[in-house]
Amino acid sequence: MTDMLQRLPAPEVAQQLTDDFDGLLTCVEITPITHDVTSFTFALPGGAGLIFAPGQYLTITVEVDGVQLERCYTISSSPAQPERPTITVKRSPDGPVSTWLHDQLRVGDVVSAAGPYGLFSTATHPARKVLFLSAGSGITPLMSMTRAMRDQALVCGSGSGLSGPGLGEPLDIVFVHCARTPDDIIFRAELEALAAGGLAAVTIICQDDSPQEVWQGPRGRLTLGALFAAAPDVLDREVFTCGPPRFMAAVAEHLTLIAADPARSHRESFVLDAGAPASERALSGTSHLVTFARSGVTVECDAATTVLATAASAGLRLPSSCQGGVCGTCKSTLLSGQVDMQQAGGIRQREIDEGKFLPCCSTPLGDLEIDA
Amino acid sequence: MTTLDQTVADSTLTDPTPTNRTPTEAAATAAPAHGIPDPAVLVARRRPGHVLEGPFYTSPEIFALDIDAVYAKQWIFVATEPEIAEPGDYVTIDLGRYSVIVLRDDDGQVRALHNVCRHRGSRVLLEERGSVGNLVCGYHQWTYATDGRLLHAGEQPPEFDKACFGLRQVAVRTVGGLIFICLATSPPEDFDDVADRIEPYLAPHDLANTKVAAQVDLVEHGNWKLVMENNRECYHCEAGHPELTCTFFPTYGFALEDIPARLMPAHARYLKAGVDLARACDERGLPHAEIEELTDRSTGFRIQREPLDGAGESYTRDGKAACRKLLGDLDIPRLGRLSMHTQPNAWFHFQADHVVTFSVLPLAADRTLVRTTWHVHRDAVEGEDYDLDHLTEVWSRTNEQDGEFVARTQAGVSSPAFVPGPYSSSEYQVDALVTWYLQRLQEHLGR
Ligand code: FES
Ligand code: FES
Ligand SMILES: [Fe+2]
Repeated sequence: MTDMLQRLPAPEVAQQLTDDFDGLLTCVEITPITHDVTSFTFALPGGAGLIFAPGQYLTITVEVDGVQLERCYTISSSPAQPERPTITVKRSPDGPVSTWLHDQLRVGDVVSAAGPYGLFSTATHPARKVLFLSAGSGITPLMSMTRAMRDQALVCGSGSGLSGPGLGEPLDIVFVHCARTPDDIIFRAELEALAAGGLAAVTIICQDDSPQEVWQGPRGRLTLGALFAAAPDVLDREVFTCGPPRFMAAVAEHLTLIAADPARSHRESFVLDAGAPASERALSGTSHLVTFARSGVTVECDAATTVLATAASAGLRLPSSCQGGVCGTCKSTLLSGQVDMQQAGGIRQREIDEGKFLPCCSTPLGDLEIDA
Repeated sequence: MTTLDQTVADSTLTDPTPTNRTPTEAAATAAPAHGIPDPAVLVARRRPGHVLEGPFYTSPEIFALDIDAVYAKQWIFVATEPEIAEPGDYVTIDLGRYSVIVLRDDDGQVRALHNVCRHRGSRVLLEERGSVGNLVCGYHQWTYATDGRLLHAGEQPPEFDKACFGLRQVAVRTVGGLIFICLATSPPEDFDDVADRIEPYLAPHDLANTKVAAQVDLVEHGNWKLVMENNRECYHCEAGHPELTCTFFPTYGFALEDIPARLMPAHARYLKAGVDLARACDERGLPHAEIEELTDRSTGFRIQREPLDGAGESYTRDGKAACRKLLGDLDIPRLGRLSMHTQPNAWFHFQADHVVTFSVLPLAADRTLVRTTWHVHRDAVEGEDYDLDHLTEVWSRTNEQDGEFVARTQAGVSSPAFVPGPYSSSEYQVDALVTWYLQRLQEHLGR
């Protein structure tokens, strides 16, 4: 485990710590969080502690109607409390495991569990400035990371504010959470306390009012504008995203649009109670090599991606305007290879015959070499 | 003053045929056969959010009106203090039929005097700039002190009272090293307010204690309003200014929802750089918030400290400082650009390492002087602390490109076929300029 985690055990923690658990967990506490979200806190056999990185998950196996069902749940608690790992579960009407946990599990009961698993963690990708983007129960790993940072700061005794492990500089957390209504905001009081304490800049976006509360904050979905409003310096931040597939896809689209460094964007997605990872952005699966001869850059281009977009992701700025094959601004010379060009009047046949094409509306049919 | 690299460059990119017509010919084309356009009618029928009608850019009558209603009434930026660093240093500024001497008097004060001899009216100083002991009219040698007092007028009767024949004073104000003049007898009073508010932004650069590294006069083949309008938007920057957009974010003036997808990466960099800049400014007590009051007041202005792309220090290709010596007490180069714009004739960029000022002076309905002046630390040594070509490259190229856009537009709006088009939302500052201008015309026309 990382440095960060090795410093955590407090003196009162039991003798035994493990970072590889496979056995029975005893439920020791059940805490309602919202009308359909509940936290379940467990104890390991013999009072042992579980070493985990914030953001990691456990695989929980329960028997429902005589059938063994296995699901992944992110640990929501802080690694600073290794003896009390907690998962936070949203009740899903079609989810037998979450329904069972909500309806059947009582304090004192046991479940089989294994873990921790996963690399989606600030421990794996340490950074001083982070942006947490969550929707619905996707908040759990991010809350674990936030709690870890808070507790780390307390352990390190850095005085006011959070302090990065050994960095000496304050940590800078921007936390954006999207919920359906104010009633669905998971960990609302804690988020508000973090904001009030200056430990994180928190933005909560609700789609609708709840019957009891007219939402006063930003509304709707996480648009690019809302993202910029919450974190104008998003390019400066390590981004951790967790939520339902549509949310993940929207965030991925925003980050691509602003050319954020993919290496600094981390994502985790569990389809609620199904345990399946979210599908990645639709790509064709085939890719070709595109060489920009003058720039001396060669990149892989998916067969479903335009040459212009590929150039942009390679950091090359080809002139462009309409991006739809109309204006001809992007007109370039194709030195070799074939493209599928869906132009709209921006180029004449005469020019095509001369080897020109419009990268904005062309996808590669094979390897390409371009005079750019 | 030290080296003053003064070049007078005529915009060479223009096809002479349409733009070199005399103003009279241009007006004949633009105006209906039955006579010149009535300015009041033109003002009244301008469609909000739309470009002005052709005669505003081509008619010599409207040009004369512009001088009377705008250039002779408002505060006009004409020079910087380092241009007249020593007592006796002067520049002469032509505004329509006016000529004004802007000089530093023997007490070190900046003065502005009408360049009209009190004897029979000869121009007193004929050069564009220079240095004098006293001001001697070359015709009959009436001699004035640098503060305008008449010192000597030969062969006058004994009762002649020299005190009555000083050079006529022109209102002058300096703020942060910038020199503004106003030809009106009662200048707009809101200048004091504007000066108080912009001074804290400008002061840290200590422009008054810089030196002029270079000055370029570019004569653009277009109406002064086209020059200013072109400067007030960045719709054209992405395609038009490859050197500028290395560091100038091309989403300037755009609302987020109007930013095309391809410019989003630049906009994201802009926002991030803005956060860094705000922090750097706050740590140093440098004001950076936008103030934008472009219309509804005489001294319309806009000021803001904004980030630059790349290294974020200066207008160079990579954004790194072009001069090693920083201005004033500034301790880091990465302070973006403090940019200001004043109606009707100027814009400014103050960086940590140098200041560029731009003064727009109308010459004729279709010709405009754009004077660009680069200032560096007084002790900076050319070739050692800075390279002149490197320092001036970006704005020299950008000005040439803009001159070309202006000339093309002048040619186009001179065509009888020209119909004013709508501004896009990113051109709101162009709309504001035009609105401000029409407000001034309405004031002048008394309605
Ligand atoms: S960008 Fe317009 S045709 Fe390619
Ligand atoms: S006109 Fe100046 S001295 Fe006569
Ligand atoms: Fe321009």
